[in-house]
Amino acid sequence: MLRPGIRRLFRLPLRTSASIHADVDEELESLLAARIDAYVAHGMSPAAARDEALRRLGTTIESARYQLHQSADLRERRMRLHEHVENLLQDLRYAARGLARRPAFTAVAVLTLAIGIGATTAIFSAVNVLLLRPLPYAKPDELMKVTLVAPAFGERKGTDQMVWSYPKYLVFRDAQRVFQENALYSGQQLTVTSGDIERIRGEFVGATYFRTLGIVPVRGRDFDRSVDAHAGAPKEVILSYAMWERRFNADPAVVGRVLDLDREPYTIIGVAPRGFLGLTGTGEVFLPITTRPADDLDQPFSHEFWLVARRGAGVSTQQAATAVAVLGGRVAEAFPDRVLGNARMGAKAQPLDAVRISPLIKRSLLILFGAVSFVLLIACVNVANLLLGRASARRREIAVRLAIGAGRLRLVGLLLTESVLLALVGGAASIVVAWLGVHALSAVNPATTLRVNRDTSLGAVAFSSISLDWTALAFTLALTLVVGVLFGLVPAIGATRASLTDALKDGRPRARRGMGSASAGRHTLVVAEVALAVVLLAGSGLMIRSLSKLMSVDTGFDARNVLTVRLTVPPGGLARDSLPAFYTQLLERIRAVPGVLDAGLNNCAPLGGSCNGTSIRLLDRPKLALELSPPIGIDWVTPTWFSTMRVPLEAGRLFTDADRANTPKVTVINESAAKKFWPNESPIGKHVEIGQGGLDDAEVIGVVGDVRQTPDSVSHPVSYASYYQSPRAGVILFIRTGANPAALGADVRRAIHDAAPQYPVYDMQTMTDRAAAATAQARFSAALLVLFAATALSLAAIGIYGVMSLAVAARTREIGIRIALGADRARVQRLVVGEGLALVAAGAVIGLGGALVATRLLRSLLFDLTPSDPITYVTIVALLGVAAVVASWIPARRAARVDPVVALRTE
Amino acid sequence: MALLKGTLDVLVLKTLSWTPMHAFEITTWLEERSTGRLVVDDAALLQALHRMEERKLIVAEWGVTKNGRRARYYRLTTMGRAHLRAESERLVDHFDALTTVLAIRKA
Repeated sequence: MLRPGIRRLFRLPLRTSASIHADVDEELESLLAARIDAYVAHGMSPAAARDEALRRLGTTIESARYQLHQSADLRERRMRLHEHVENLLQDLRYAARGLARRPAFTAVAVLTLAIGIGATTAIFSAVNVLLLRPLPYAKPDELMKVTLVAPAFGERKGTDQMVWSYPKYLVFRDAQRVFQENALYSGQQLTVTSGDIERIRGEFVGATYFRTLGIVPVRGRDFDRSVDAHAGAPKEVILSYAMWERRFNADPAVVGRVLDLDREPYTIIGVAPRGFLGLTGTGEVFLPITTRPADDLDQPFSHEFWLVARRGAGVSTQQAATAVAVLGGRVAEAFPDRVLGNARMGAKAQPLDAVRISPLIKRSLLILFGAVSFVLLIACVNVANLLLGRASARRREIAVRLAIGAGRLRLVGLLLTESVLLALVGGAASIVVAWLGVHALSAVNPATTLRVNRDTSLGAVAFSSISLDWTALAFTLALTLVVGVLFGLVPAIGATRASLTDALKDGRPRARRGMGSASAGRHTLVVAEVALAVVLLAGSGLMIRSLSKLMSVDTGFDARNVLTVRLTVPPGGLARDSLPAFYTQLLERIRAVPGVLDAGLNNCAPLGGSCNGTSIRLLDRPKLALELSPPIGIDWVTPTWFSTMRVPLEAGRLFTDADRANTPKVTVINESAAKKFWPNESPIGKHVEIGQGGLDDAEVIGVVGDVRQTPDSVSHPVSYASYYQSPRAGVILFIRTGANPAALGADVRRAIHDAAPQYPVYDMQTMTDRAAAATAQARFSAALLVLFAATALSLAAIGIYGVMSLAVAARTREIGIRIALGADRARVQRLVVGEGLALVAAGAVIGLGGALVATRLLRSLLFDLTPSDPITYVTIVALLGVAAVVASWIPARRAARVDPVVALRTE
Repeated sequence: MALLKGTLDVLVLKTLSWTPMHAFEITTWLEERSTGRLVVDDAALLQALHRMEERKLIVAEWGVTKNGRRARYYRLTTMGRAHLRAESERLVDHFDALTTVLAIRKA
């Protein structure tokens, strides 16, 4: 019979309730018997002795037995609980000691987990905020976005995301019965003309905008409903919380004060809640649309407003969508579009949540989430592999425990404690990784990432609101535990199933030539790991190739040493006729700044997304309706802009200072326009009508090289108008400098201030920064994917190294014999490296198959590249090969250095 | 004479501090040393032993008596020894105080 202490030490099962009761009964009987013996020895009769002994109990024998059973059970329960706690602590101490004894193993495992879990949590935080979390408005599922639907016509594509004109909206508003509230909104740049002059973004909104979203101003009041009644409403403004803090120092008495916007005084009536920047995500002030003049709002074909609406009680999404489709027909009837012929405009409603963020960002995020899940998978596989190796090194110890009767469950528990502890430490470290990742993600400027497709209507959720929230933390914790149990369970069960005799004999698995059954599992894991890494490598390889193509696109201008800055003459600031003189004076001041070589104006920055677009009619061809005519871009420039940006003149001449309002209208076109409209003849001297800039009959005087408006698009036809001929209030100054353009910032600012003290100067950037911003989204995704792929590759290499090291260690004897029998050491080395390569080859084949399927998801993100780009695949296979050789080289060298004498003696 | 509350445990520990004993030996030893003044009910003694076993002051083990019977032998643990030292100091101090106070009232 083993002592209980020993039983406990070796985790043997403890006593049952029945055996405890039997013990109690026996002890009671033994006490009574001892007493009876003593009384009899003193001369009492056995019967009297028994009576006396029972009396000495102090109670009846039944009650004594019952009480003693109770107290023994209680004792056993408490001791067992205590023991469980002790066991757990002991396991923990044991596990912690084990981990501390193998710092390399522990560091690799913890780091692997920290990266895997941390990166997943960070990306999940972004996915949660940007895609999953309900929009931060009251009952967000009731909100819908209502858009016009335009059919394709002429050369234009159809769209179901078209904005409203005010008159069309009025028809919709007065006829609709499915929405309880609805409001228009549109982003708008404004100039603050009181106090510090600055350029801000605001929103023109319907009076019921806040009510529709369920938002109540934290100070002051909301717009009155009557504001929507007709144009010419009182000039009132609601400030965003940020604006209130920034410009008014959070002054509690701000309501009633006046803020001048575009030279008009607006009375501040309220402050929006903290964090609310409108549905554009950039609105700093909110103004009623009806503060605009009536003739601005009665243009049925001037489409510029988005529409958000809240469904009425009991109206389903489907019902609302159907009703809106019908209303779309009503709107089209009210404002028939002659040019459309039989095609008709329509309207569409969809949940606001479905269009909360740009589809491009949504896709990038989901791809990143997929990629990071792969990293996590690889991390788990790797740690499982490490633990599997560790478990097989401990087979002897486990076998001894099993042999003396330790419970298998208890042993699995012991091994699990170690993996859960490892997972928890990894999980804690991963919070640091996640925190860093979340900070990096939230610093991504949405204005930059959104600029790619200029979709300013989709800003309901911003990157800046990404934070490491409780959901993400809970997610990390759940992941940590699942990972810990999963990768602990498999090796634990495997190790405790070990054949006793086998393990006790020599304490290590029987190692045979190649893959023994014990190592087959680990080999499978390595193959899986390599396959996953290949998919990730393929994805990031494609993104890098795409990005490098994107960066090397010929933009058509020389971005080096150019400083750019925006300047806007606010409405009413300067008469239209005096603008040309102002431009001349401004450019003269700038050119006088030391270090400035040349300067020119353009209303639109290259690579800044789309610029103005209109239609062109070729006056030497049969006349088409302007709406059916081909689209063309139009930029306003000063004559020197082309030379400043080094845009080459291909044919004809550029604008001169002599092309004025009172001289014949002229235009310069780009190469794409020339090729498209006059494929076989010279465009010089042709006459065209361009839909904007007053160019109703302009002569084409020159052709210039194509300038890219976005880096990832093909060049479109663009025409240029001269600022001197058709003046315009907003300009971007392009200044070519001799050297470092940023250094001239202050001088340029001063020069502009001298020429135009009262106008806002903003958005000063070098042209190279603007170009970089244009590829920010692509660079961001590519950088993350590359990071993930690099992690995956190094993890896979660690996995290969681990497996090959263990294989070599297990086969020391065999290798020793080979060498003793005269095997060439180089041959042994090749053997080991070859086995490593075989594993990688198997993984690579599976991975390449997976990659060809998975990378199709990337198609829409790739520029000028197919997802099956052969160069990418060849490169990653080569990269993997190198990683595999390096990872198996170190164990191979160890194998080749095996001393046959030592190897044979150790067994 | 009935025992004062809380003194049984310390008396049992004191008894066991000499040598491991089984229940009958303990109660006999107490009776003899107190010249019959300290008499413990057997049921109460067994419960006290369970209680102290749970608190790890003593450990139990089956053994065989001089008469060839099986009996549960109790042995003091290190924790039990420490507990005995602390408790007996406390009790002696307590009774010393009691004696002093009672002596004053008598005078």
